[in-house]
Amino acid sequence: MATQNVKLPDVGEGVTEGELVKWLVKVGDTVKADQPVVEVMTDKATVEVPSPYAGVVKELKFKEGDVIPIETVILILDADGAKPAGASAAPPQQLKTPSAVESQPGQMAKPATAPVSAAALNKVGTASAAMGAGATAGMDVYPPAADSRVLATPATRRLARETGVDINQLSGTGMAGRVTRDDVVKAKGSNGTGGGAGAVSARAPIMDIPRPAVISQPGALEERVPLRGIRKKIAENMQMAKHVIPHFTLMEEVRVDELVKLRAQAKEAAEKYGVKVTYLPFIMKALIATCREFPMFNASMDDQAQEIVYKKSFNVGFAADTPTGLMVPVVKNADFKTMLQISQEIQQLAGKARDGKLALEDMRGATITVTNIGSVGGVYATPIINHPEVAILGVYKIQDKPIWNGKEFTRGQVMNFTITCDHRLIDGAVAANFMKSFAGRIENPSQLMLDMI
Amino acid sequence: MAEKFDVCVVGAGPGGYVAAIRAAQLGKKTCIVEREFLGGVCLNVGCIPSKAMITAGHFYHRMQHDAPEMGFDIPKSIKLDFKKLQEWKQSVCNKMSGGVAQLLKGNSVTVFMGEATFTSPKVISVKSKEGTKTIEAANYIIATGSRPIEIPGFAVDEKDVMTSTGALALDKKVDRLVVIGGGYIGLEIGSYMQKFGTQVTVVEAGPALLNGVADPDCVQVVARKLKKSGVEVLTGAKAKGFKKGKDGLEVTIDVGGKEQVLKADKILMTVGRKPNSDQSGLKNIGLAIDERGFIKVNAQRKTNLPGIYAIGDICGQPMLAHKASHEGVLVAEVIAGQNRAYDAKTVPAVIFVDPEIASAGLLESECKAKGFNDLKIGKFPFAANGRAVSMMETEGFVKIIADAKTSVVLGIHIVGPEASNLISEAALAIEMGARVEDLALTIHPHPTLGETMMEAAEATLGHAIHIIQKPLTRASSNGHRPTA
Repeated sequence: MATQNVKLPDVGEGVTEGELVKWLVKVGDTVKADQPVVEVMTDKATVEVPSPYAGVVKELKFKEGDVIPIETVILILDADGAKPAGASAAPPQQLKTPSAVESQPGQMAKPATAPVSAAALNKVGTASAAMGAGATAGMDVYPPAADSRVLATPATRRLARETGVDINQLSGTGMAGRVTRDDVVKAKGSNGTGGGAGAVSARAPIMDIPRPAVISQPGALEERVPLRGIRKKIAENMQMAKHVIPHFTLMEEVRVDELVKLRAQAKEAAEKYGVKVTYLPFIMKALIATCREFPMFNASMDDQAQEIVYKKSFNVGFAADTPTGLMVPVVKNADFKTMLQISQEIQQLAGKARDGKLALEDMRGATITVTNIGSVGGVYATPIINHPEVAILGVYKIQDKPIWNGKEFTRGQVMNFTITCDHRLIDGAVAANFMKSFAGRIENPSQLMLDMI
Repeated sequence: MAEKFDVCVVGAGPGGYVAAIRAAQLGKKTCIVEREFLGGVCLNVGCIPSKAMITAGHFYHRMQHDAPEMGFDIPKSIKLDFKKLQEWKQSVCNKMSGGVAQLLKGNSVTVFMGEATFTSPKVISVKSKEGTKTIEAANYIIATGSRPIEIPGFAVDEKDVMTSTGALALDKKVDRLVVIGGGYIGLEIGSYMQKFGTQVTVVEAGPALLNGVADPDCVQVVARKLKKSGVEVLTGAKAKGFKKGKDGLEVTIDVGGKEQVLKADKILMTVGRKPNSDQSGLKNIGLAIDERGFIKVNAQRKTNLPGIYAIGDICGQPMLAHKASHEGVLVAEVIAGQNRAYDAKTVPAVIFVDPEIASAGLLESECKAKGFNDLKIGKFPFAANGRAVSMMETEGFVKIIADAKTSVVLGIHIVGPEASNLISEAALAIEMGARVEDLALTIHPHPTLGETMMEAAEATLGHAIHIIQKPLTRASSNGHRPTA
């Protein structure tokens, strides 16, 4: 019987290893080509890895919880005469090459910057070849090692590496094309904003904050768990955002009696479509309409070019609490979608997030984000902006409050909102005007009708 | 019960011990396993003892040849006590190796003396006279190095057929030595033995000495001096075998299809080194090893197995101690979670022949292969340097190769006195991406050998089209300043 080795493929740019979450097959199972066999969590997302071959599972090489470098054999199939998927018409899937990413099914969507990454990988290849030891396939480091032609001092090369800048991609401003320290610092500041929104959050750590080494002996009083996968990614993104963006938060209390009524009606109407309408679609619509008035909220900063990038689409991310940690799925082109469509999409994405099934594509491309973690509890929070975005809207729970109408206290329903802004781009007064305009739409949801497309 | 560590380093050579110290500095519970001696080949039977012997040879030679010219009254024959020489050499090694032991201890690195074998990718056993220990570490750094290659017909017994190890331990004069392999190890040992009065013949299979390793112009200076001192060099010559005759050993060689017999008392086998990847159970745990025996690693020196790293000779060329040390620091930092990758532009290389050869960066042929077609090359001879003349060491030159378009320094090759100490400036220049002007405009102290670097840079600019100085002719760049 012929055996086939199934390897952990290159599941995305910059991903070097994945944690085995769950086997979807067991020894003795018959597997069809392209059938998902294992669930692997990388620092970007949890993905299902399909087998490129058909056959019977002979051996599982790892157990759940293991961290596996990409290109490692994870499973052995007895594949008697079995051909790789699509063998008759198309060439077999080449799991070894970086371009294999393109031939993977939907969940391992091709990264937006794949061509750049492939070029970079080639460079690493030549650099290592010169050393006499060929790079081990699929174990390329990010950022790739500096090509021998790059002119930069060793200290600058290290700065680039530590701040997640691929020095091979920079054009140096120094003499003879030398990459200077400034070039690296500038590139770091604008990492990814030029190459499409959301690219940054999927990138390597961007930090030049010295991290003190904590030295302590393992003992019974503490438990040490490696910082890995999604937690690691969240940690890096948060640290970077907080470091790069001067945050400020403006808070407002908004009456929502009308919105509560409207939503109750809409909820009932939508039930016959099997869709659950929450407050979030209304809030998104009000946010989009307000952003049209204040375009700098739906924007990002390109530090390198010293330019403000105004986004023409409205891709609204919403924070979702999942068992593995915070995820931000994105409702794309929310401005072109009906309230019903948005509701449906939120429902689907939230379900995927809960089940750990969000694909990379589901989390890409946000232009502004809403966090409604506050609906669980808390009066106000000061959220962290999802870099490279420049604002995040905080939504808190609806409460009954006594309202003084000049003569007496009446019952009113109020909801707290915060808008957290990148002060480099947005001034305090602008944020106050933004909030005023946004609050107006929430208080009088009929105004939303005027904004309708 | 297995003893547990965060990091276990296998091999205490210049790669391994450096990795262990850095890992310990970063707070990792670290151990190191060594089967022979701390400091490895380098400190015990390689770099350090050979330098001690070379120093002695040079000293001996200068007493005989240079001192009388300076007015010293030196007896015709200076006696050399080979046993004492060995004791002194050994004291040098012991000092260095003892220093490593102290450093490891001072950094709380646990040292296990014994033979390590991987029983799984996570566990090794260490066998020693005291018994067998089991060690389990989250991370392994393989730094087990390399050993001399042997060729058929010449079984090494360290008596008739020696490797560098045997040659360095000789405690009496050898009359006739045949060196098989004209690489740097054979030439270093052959040269100092010649100075002690040995008649040396070098048998090299390739077309030239130090073929492809050093700048041909530099090699020419050394080849000329070898010839002058009486060392016979046979290139294109293949060693076939040897037998014991009445008058010592008879070595059969094949030169262009014709057999020749060389008489010798000892044979030194220096045809190269091979990685020790066939040892320590490395083949049993699924480690990816290439066809030349090097463990495959990426730019972070990670192998195909999670938690296993490889550094030094065992993971690829060049097999040099300082490359291994650099990788040792890098890997320890990678393990500690720092983002590091190997991106050094050059590993400088030094050959302690007479005069010394040292190089950093690219050879002319490598520049062409990398697409630098338009080169500017400048040379400056030590004969025009005041310090070299006053040291009575005027052979050789500094040669700088630069990209003609950008003036960026691509390679620097030195043959001459203290080339080994001068090359660090060249390595720094290349790592910093220096242009030739940077070297030329840096004030170098007078009178020193280092001035040759600055003047070679000026010589290189003398041929350039775009320079801020007046174009220099070769003659004016070679002219030296009046002494202070």
